[in-house]
Order: sequence, then C-alpha cells, then structure tokens
Amino acid sequence: MPIRALAAVFAAALALAAPAQAKDELHLYNWNNYIAPETVKRFEEFCKCDVVQTYYSDNEELLAKLAAGAKGYDVLVPTSNAVQALIRGGQLKPLDKTALPNIRNVDPAYLNTPFDPGNQYSVPYAMSTTIIGYNDAKIKELGLPTDTWAVIFDPKYLEKVKGRVTVLDSANELFAAALKYLGYSANDVDPKHWDEAAAVIKKAKPYWAAFNASSYIKELTVGNIWLVHGYSNDIFQANQDAQAAGRKFHILQGVPKEGAVLAVDNMVIHKSAPRPDLALRFINFMLDGRNSAELTNLIGSGNPNKDAMSYIKPELTRLPAVFPPPALQAKLEQLKDLTVAQRRLRNKLWTEIKASK
Amino acid sequence: MRRRSPLLWAAALCAYAFLYVPLAIVVVYSFNDSRLNAEWVGFTLDWYRKLAADDEMLAAAGNSLAIGLVASLVSTVLGTMAGVAMHRYRLRLLPILIVAPIAIPEILMGVSLLIFFVLLNFTLGLVSVALAHIAFCIGFVAIVVRARLAGMDETLTEAARDCGATPWKAFRHVTLPLIMPGVVAGALMAFTLSIDDFVITFFTAGAGTVTLPLQIYSMIKISVTPEVNAVSTLLMLLTLLLIVIAAKLSPSLLRSERET
Repeated sequence: MPIRALAAVFAAALALAAPAQAKDELHLYNWNNYIAPETVKRFEEFCKCDVVQTYYSDNEELLAKLAAGAKGYDVLVPTSNAVQALIRGGQLKPLDKTALPNIRNVDPAYLNTPFDPGNQYSVPYAMSTTIIGYNDAKIKELGLPTDTWAVIFDPKYLEKVKGRVTVLDSANELFAAALKYLGYSANDVDPKHWDEAAAVIKKAKPYWAAFNASSYIKELTVGNIWLVHGYSNDIFQANQDAQAAGRKFHILQGVPKEGAVLAVDNMVIHKSAPRPDLALRFINFMLDGRNSAELTNLIGSGNPNKDAMSYIKPELTRLPAVFPPPALQAKLEQLKDLTVAQRRLRNKLWTEIKASK
Repeated sequence: MRRRSPLLWAAALCAYAFLYVPLAIVVVYSFNDSRLNAEWVGFTLDWYRKLAADDEMLAAAGNSLAIGLVASLVSTVLGTMAGVAMHRYRLRLLPILIVAPIAIPEILMGVSLLIFFVLLNFTLGLVSVALAHIAFCIGFVAIVVRARLAGMDETLTEAARDCGATPWKAFRHVTLPLIMPGVVAGALMAFTLSIDDFVITFFTAGAGTVTLPLQIYSMIKISVTPEVNAVSTLLMLLTLLLIVIAAKLSPSLLRSERET
C-alpha cells in the first residue's frame, strides 16, 4: 500500500514538472545568455515550434556529456577546438549546405579553418577575443599604453598599477598572451618558448592582484581593478554595468598590437539529433544578419556575419573586438588543442607559476 | 542554571556568524537595486518581479523541488529499510554496498549513471535525475537510521514480540516511532542533498531538463545577477519551513535526548 501511494506521488510530481510534449521542439544546447530572447521568439513563430534550451558553461562539460553518450540535442554551439574534438569523436552530422543559403553572409575569414576544413560540420555563430580591458580614467591618469601586452607583463608599467591588475585563471589563455607578447604564435609549442613565457609570467605575477576568471567583471565595474587580461564580451559587460551604475569612468577594450586569442563558437548538429530538419532551419535562420546582430547587441560578442553589420548598434560596430578589421584579423589566432605530452608540460609550468612567490 | 563563561558565548557567536552571515548577505542583496552584488545601492523588489516573470528559472526551481521531494521520499523508505537490515542482520556485504555510493566520487557516479542509462536506452530527463538522486541518497538515510537504531533499547521490540505482536506490528508500532527522528533527519538530508546536487544531475539530466543548480551554474559565466539571490532566498525560506514542519511532526528531532 505505502509503496503504491509513493509511486503515485512519484508519478504526480514528475508529471507536474514535465509539460506535455505536443509541439515540435528544437533542442538547443548552448551557453547561457548566448541567444537574444527576441531571436528565439521570432524563430519559434517562423518554424511553429518550441526552442528548448539547455546550458553548459564549459566546452569540456559538453564534450564529457556527449562522449558518455547523452542524446536528445539538435544544435550545439561549441568553440572551434571542441568542434574538432567532436568531429574526431564522430559526434556530428555533416551539414547539408543546400539548406543553408545564408552561409554566404559569413565573412570568408572565418570559414574553412583547420578546425573544420570546408565547413563540413560547422558554421561560425559568434566569437570573442582575449584582450585588455581597462578603466579609462585611471589608465589615462597613469599614462599607460593599452595597445600592447607589455602593460600586462612588463614590470616597468606594472609597478604603477600594482595590485590593480587581474589576469585570466587559465593556463592556455595566459600562456597564449605571454607567447604573443614575446612575438611567438599563440599556438607555439616549442618548450624553450614556453619556458620564456613562464619566466615572463613569473616576473609579472607579484604585480597582479589575482588570477581571476569570473569576478573581474564586477571588480572592474566597481573600480577596484583598473586593468585586466580578459574576454571582450566580459569587458563589454563590465562597461555596460558601470554605465548603468552611473560611474564616472568607462571600461574600454584595448587590442594588443602583438595580436590576441580569438575564440569562435560554431553551430553544429549532433549525430543523434531528433530533429535535424529543424536544426538546419535554425542554423540558416541564425546566419541571417538581423538575427545574428541581436546577440551582438545584447552581449557585445564578436560577429563573423558581414550581413549583421547594418543591424548592430553603431557604437558597437566601432569596437575592434566586434568586427576585427582585416589588419587585426591577421593577428588573431584560435587556440588549438594540445597533445597529452604538451598538456602535461603546460600543467607543470602552470603549477610552478601558481606556486611561485 | 549554571552560568556559562563569556568565552563560550563568544565562541558560539563566532560559529553562528560564520554559518549565517553569508546567508544573510545573500538575502540582503536580493533586495539590492543593482545588477552587481558589489555594493548597496537601494532597496528594490525588482529581482523578485524579474524572477516571477522568468519562466526558465521558475521551471528549474519547480524541477528541483519535484526531484527533491520524490528523491527524499523514495530514498527515505529504501534507506530506512536498508538501515534496519544493516542493524538487525549484521550482513557483511550490505554496509559496503550501501556506503559505497556515498564514498564514490560524484563525478564518477555521474558518468557511470549516464553510461548506464544510455546502455539501457533510457531517455534522459527528470526521471533519470530522480533515479540518480535516489541512488545516492539511500546511503545517507541508511546511515542516519542505523545510528539511531544503535542507540535504541532492543528489549522494547523483544517485549512487543513477547506480547504477541507480529514482526511487522512490532516494527510499525515500536521500532518505527522510536527511530522516527532518525528517519525524518534522513529525509531532510536527502532532500537537501538532492536539491543542491550539481555534478550527478549535470550528467543524468537530458535535453531541456534544467534544475536550479544547473541553471545557476550556467549563469556564472555571464556573472550572476541578484535574481539568483532572490531565488536562493525563497529556497532558504522553504527549507526553513520544512525544518519547522519536521520539528512539529517529531519534536525530539531538534532537541537533545535529556530534555525530552
């Protein structure tokens, strides 16, 4: 008897929580806040279906989950190196290009990359760059440059902003920045160059306030931190928050002349997608300039879609991180995955850096 | 009553401050008129209004509650049975089997469960999450119940049996009431563990199944807004309510043995 009662409670509770599935559904596995609500609404009207979103906060999360065999997702939005890993794992469905006429809107600079030659499986969605963010009032007052990694790594500049600088808590991002500063490629794998980069980082470390990957947006906005190595979207967000809070300063983006890391997120279809037809319609829809522009207007993301330019707020189109000009494009690099041995070496160097005084 | 030393009071105060000040800050900032959890700007109920209109967050909270209720109910029944069995039969393998899910790292359990569900071709969703939560909650309930049984006077059950009670009657009318505080404590623990679990839930949740911890965690990347404080405040209230109800149902639960 009690067991039957429990079973009834069980069923009732779950039935309450799970809405009846009647309409067509597109399952989108996406980063949080990575599509504008009005875009979702418009697509739902267009396809007469519901968009059901699930979120991940890290490519590794997505890879782990799919590698273990999770199913039910139609469209995923992984970063390029994760796309490559997914292709290698046979997790993706090739794209039927005839269903994607809007692919012509994409800037050719972001197509046919080594991560997915010929864009057999993926099309670029949005991107961010890892650059310098700064408090304009303070940095102007101190007379520091904002167009070079030297301001993050050279003690000559750093001593003026000691304790007011944060860098990303990511070995790959920080090594990439240090390698760029030294004039190497962000994807350089020469151990000697890595040692040089580690030395640069160790020398600068005493001047940094923290390795920080999440709360630096807030610290910038409040005015505790004046200079960061961070993601362009985050720096944009920090400035929006600062303006909304009525601060007397701006948080601006500085693109280092040595170049920087570019992270492109791509739309792909999972091999076991329940609705590949809807997935293709969604991808083509998102390649439309107007729909693509709405995300940039929302979070200040970089946009690989040429057609989006005319729909983006003018103050945003001027930001180099949103539409990198060709000269800058040439200096932006997407990070490649490291081999196991390389990763081990990098982890070792990273641990030494973290432990150093 | 003996006077307690001021040092003891100070220590107690510090301990309570350590436990409750962070929670109080979360509550206070849920009324803050700023998107940032950085400084006090002014009082507002905006975040609660936003929350009321945020279908995704509410659905996530609803899912968490439903899963928590189901997981705690089922695991309490199974866990109590396991606790009684461990106490009565002194089996060698059973305690290991029951404690193992507690000792196994969550990430391992999450991945294993996911692989298991995929192997069975079981559609991932609320049910798979609830099953996973039941699996790891049973052990906790069993241990609490067993601890309670260990402190129980065995002669009482024997007396009931002597007076002609069937084993079930003796359990239902003598043992169960005596171990009730343990059972309720186990149920509460299971509920809390279920509602804030992230790792196992992440792996066993299907497309479109979002629970509160998953929702909040995915927001970290774009910085958490006070809406999260608002939903946390409501959850705290709910938990408080549950504890009050539990204390009403089983008064001895929150008091020391000597006073009852």
